Amino acid sequence: MPVRKAARLFGGLMVAGAMLGIAVSAQAQDKKIKIGVIFDLTGPLAGGGSELEYIGAKIMLDQYVKTGVEGYKVEAVYADAQSKPDVAINESVRLLEQEKVDMLLGFFSSAQCVPVAARVEQLKKFMWMTTCISSGVFENKNYKYVFRPQASGDQFGLMTMDFIAQNSLSKFGKEPKDLRVAIIHEDGAYGVDVAKGNEAGAKKAGFNVVLKEGYSATAPDLSALVTKLKRAQPDVIFHTGYNPDITLLFRQAREQGLKFGAIVGHGAGYGVYEKLKEGLGPDANYIFDTDPISIWLANPKGLDPKLLPVIKMVGDEFDKIKPGVAIRSAHVGIAASNSYVFLNDVLPRAIKKYGGVDPDALRKAAMDTDIPEGGTMLGFGVKFYAEGTVMAGQNERSFPVVIQYIDDKSYVVWPKGQAAREPVLPLPAGTTYSYK
Amino acid sequence: MMDIFDIYLLEAIVNGILLGGLLALLALGLNLIFGVIDVTWICYAELVMIGMYGMYYMVQYFGLSYFIAAPLTILLVAALGALLHLLVIAPLLSAPPINQLLATGGVLFVLQSFATVAFGIDFRNLGIRLPVLQFADMHFSYARLLAFAAALIGMVLVYLFMKRTYVGTAIRAIAQDRQIMALMGVDTRRIYIITSALGGALAGLASCLLVLQYDIHPFVGLSFGPITFLVCVLGGLGNFVGGFVAAFVFAEIISVGGLFSDLEWGYVLAFAFFIVMMFIRPAGLLARRS
Repeated sequence: MPVRKAARLFGGLMVAGAMLGIAVSAQAQDKKIKIGVIFDLTGPLAGGGSELEYIGAKIMLDQYVKTGVEGYKVEAVYADAQSKPDVAINESVRLLEQEKVDMLLGFFSSAQCVPVAARVEQLKKFMWMTTCISSGVFENKNYKYVFRPQASGDQFGLMTMDFIAQNSLSKFGKEPKDLRVAIIHEDGAYGVDVAKGNEAGAKKAGFNVVLKEGYSATAPDLSALVTKLKRAQPDVIFHTGYNPDITLLFRQAREQGLKFGAIVGHGAGYGVYEKLKEGLGPDANYIFDTDPISIWLANPKGLDPKLLPVIKMVGDEFDKIKPGVAIRSAHVGIAASNSYVFLNDVLPRAIKKYGGVDPDALRKAAMDTDIPEGGTMLGFGVKFYAEGTVMAGQNERSFPVVIQYIDDKSYVVWPKGQAAREPVLPLPAGTTYSYK
Repeated sequence: MMDIFDIYLLEAIVNGILLGGLLALLALGLNLIFGVIDVTWICYAELVMIGMYGMYYMVQYFGLSYFIAAPLTILLVAALGALLHLLVIAPLLSAPPINQLLATGGVLFVLQSFATVAFGIDFRNLGIRLPVLQFADMHFSYARLLAFAAALIGMVLVYLFMKRTYVGTAIRAIAQDRQIMALMGVDTRRIYIITSALGGALAGLASCLLVLQYDIHPFVGLSFGPITFLVCVLGGLGNFVGGFVAAFVFAEIISVGGLFSDLEWGYVLAFAFFIVMMFIRPAGLLARRS
């Protein structure tokens, strides 16, 4: 009888244990972070780089969907902003209020970032921007729930001006004050912000700014702008644009006989070499682009060694999705790296230190971020400007680099510390736009 | 003051004329449809977009020469125009104009979405580099010159077709009185299909020339659709000559206005001119005063 009783007790304990296990497992299964991811999968911005950013973010998210983070399942819900700010806002609200996502991640266009950030902050939800660069998102806003590891637009503009200023005498044989520069840009939040940085950089360098002008990225004709550039005769053109307008500008510049010493782009359409090459043919040679460094061009010696297999994984996965691409766009790496920072650094801290994935836990974890230079795949570190500062929420350690496309390869040419080779400046004689 | 009268002003004026040729070519087909069938194809620029993709695939994938691909594209878009009439417009001929407008607006989104799904979101390019025409210190685009010539020739051919042929006469007669012509034994259904095909063919012709200047993507119509519609309204919907003149006036304001001010102001001035003209001459630039 005691044996039978003991057996029954043992059996009961087994069942109870099993039930407890199931309950614990069920509870673990319930722990989940639902991430709303928004990029442009249709509309002009999709081909201008947004789809590549989406691919980069998805590659990284897919890895964490498989493994989870600190016992939390990761679920990604994707939405298409259709290259329209109003759709981006509506989709953001839909994801937050109907899909009940815990946070938003992504955003390619600055024209979308600015209004979406204001709406998300109003709702007291957490937002992690991987891509858009407008300083206007943060400047004097003092947001508490919006964070961006990506470099800001004015940094792009300042970096390229510094690059040309430091090469003015040696490459153009002119003092900066004698160098004629033109600043042209699409007139959205992105172009205006970069141009603001360009203008500040030009003032600092003492350049002679001969033309500064904005235009609509969907304008069917840029011939008047090209005529003005011909009249202004710039040595260097600083251009911020998306893809269809970049190729239109170059095509009309060729047809109207515009000549210059160099053209320096600032991300977006300039970051997609395949499309530049397809649209411009040999004229895509020697174009400069400014972007966070492509993760495949970053000097591995300067990076945290544990990032190297992650970089390889992103490259392998990208090649499966888009085989045969000559130069993997920096866009893919930007979204992958910035998503990785959140998933690998911020999210675990939010769960372990602040007890969950609610907006306040994520915010506190983001504010604690302190990654030194070389700690991300993009080479820069991450630390966010504190609340109460002018740029609260913006990464203070980010920086872009200047690359040049030479013979179907891209090389980092600035800053000196990251440079892989000397820039080709000015355009070699005999090339389509060369003024030599 | 004399500084503004330089070679660059002349170049801007000529570029305005060339842009005007492009807009006139686009406006031609839209005006024809409206003049005869009394329906505005809001999706007209999307037909042009489909034609551009047709050119791209024929040249790049099937290896056809540009000159073989062009007539095939014109036929393709002509067939699309006829199909659009049969499937969408014909059932709505007696419906209120707003319903017709909404229906063709719906087709616009259908075609954009179809192109996104079928061709992807990548920007395509035919990769043809035409030479540049140089005169003094001015340079001009051959592609724009071709579009200008095509607009002129297209205009003359459409004019001759309408004036000198039996079908053209029937089309004009129907444009004047849709109900009476049916009573007089004219097959209005056939005339509508022919007109729609002709409008489509003109969209096809425009697409053959636009691929020489612009990247192809599902939303390329957004760059031209609204401005083409404005040109047609400015010239008087259905008025070929008015549309032709309006295209050049509009283009010159954009081009020369953009030279003396910001490029954006060129467009602002053009749209302001449009609004003012709508008050002064609501029936179009060349409309007779009643």
